[in-house]
Amino acid sequence: MSAEVETGKKGSRWKPSLDTWAVLVAFLLALLVRTGVFKRIPW
Amino acid sequence: MADVITVPQVQPVQPALRFLRVIPGVLLLAGVGYAGKLLEQNVGAYAKAHHWTFPNIEYVLWAIVLGLLISNTVGVPEIFRTGVATYEFWLKAGIVLLGARFLLGDILKLGGVSLVLVAIEIAGSLAFMTFLGRVFKLKPKLTTLLAVGSAVCGVSAIIATKGAIEADDEDSSFSIAAILALGALALFTFPLIGHVLHLSDRAYGLWAGLGVDNTAEATAAGALYSDAAGKLAVLVKSTRNAMIGFVVLAYAIYWASKGQTQAVGNKAAFLWQKFPKFVLGFLLISVLATYHFFNKEQVGALANLSRWAFLLTFAGVGLRTNFGEMRKQGLRPFAVGAIGEVAIAGFTLALVYGAGKIFGW
Repeated sequence: MSAEVETGKKGSRWKPSLDTWAVLVAFLLALLVRTGVFKRIPW
Repeated sequence: MADVITVPQVQPVQPALRFLRVIPGVLLLAGVGYAGKLLEQNVGAYAKAHHWTFPNIEYVLWAIVLGLLISNTVGVPEIFRTGVATYEFWLKAGIVLLGARFLLGDILKLGGVSLVLVAIEIAGSLAFMTFLGRVFKLKPKLTTLLAVGSAVCGVSAIIATKGAIEADDEDSSFSIAAILALGALALFTFPLIGHVLHLSDRAYGLWAGLGVDNTAEATAAGALYSDAAGKLAVLVKSTRNAMIGFVVLAYAIYWASKGQTQAVGNKAAFLWQKFPKFVLGFLLISVLATYHFFNKEQVGALANLSRWAFLLTFAGVGLRTNFGEMRKQGLRPFAVGAIGEVAIAGFTLALVYGAGKIFGW
């Protein structure tokens, strides 16, 4: 769950959360649609 | 934090390996979801060709039922589990993409109404669940987790609150099991009640967004009724999700005042950390769509991408629901959750009727 794992050295690198990844991927897809890479998505 | 595990040296998992691990489960999600879509198309056509009276069952329900069948009969093998757990990722990406189908004006209009209803729902649900927890003599922190799970947004709220109030793992497992079991029941009962009461798409969408706890189940319960109800359920549920930081902060301050957790330092940073970022993504895509950044065909393509993402989510909702596992968690938290959920469903339905009268829907 939300257990925090402490390692020997604490990294200061920003790690995107699941939410952030979802937003980034959605925007990447939107950009690909906007630029015409994906023209038609069937359903 | 309650669970700090000290590990001297951790060998990080290679990103490529992590990516490979999710592939089998994602393929299973896609397979189950697509099978649901095929069943929707073919069962209806077959019944019509043979002059049977058969209700039109949407892919949403087929995908969930297929997932439930697999999970509760043969089970989900270990190799698929990491990928199946990505259903929340698809849900959030789907919600962001769904923003393209909302104009900013609609969001402000509907969001304004739903914000008022959400505030009433959260206050009423928290008070009622706290009262029930006391009546059933549940542990105070378990009561807090159940209250937050029912009032705000299911599993995410429970996990966020668990960290903030330093609750036990056992309490959070109980609460998550109760919320998931009741969410699974809501999937089938909400659309049924909606049809019996002849609720409009708007009234039903509002009700599903207010009354169903977990975002995935609220999205599915809305989509099971109609496309329009599904859209509105997502909007209302996202408004509820946006409140998570405030509720968790209030509980963190409460438990800190009792000396049972550490005091919250920077409250603004705390709120930002707990705020669901996909709500911002949803709003931003909607702003872009409102100002014609996407043409009509592109909006259609984004809407279809959102449907595909939700298809994986609905398959995941079924696949991760295991009634046997839930039964092991015990009856009391489930009973408190069940009584609370029935009361909250009735309360939110009354709220929707009240809003309908006021706004003339």
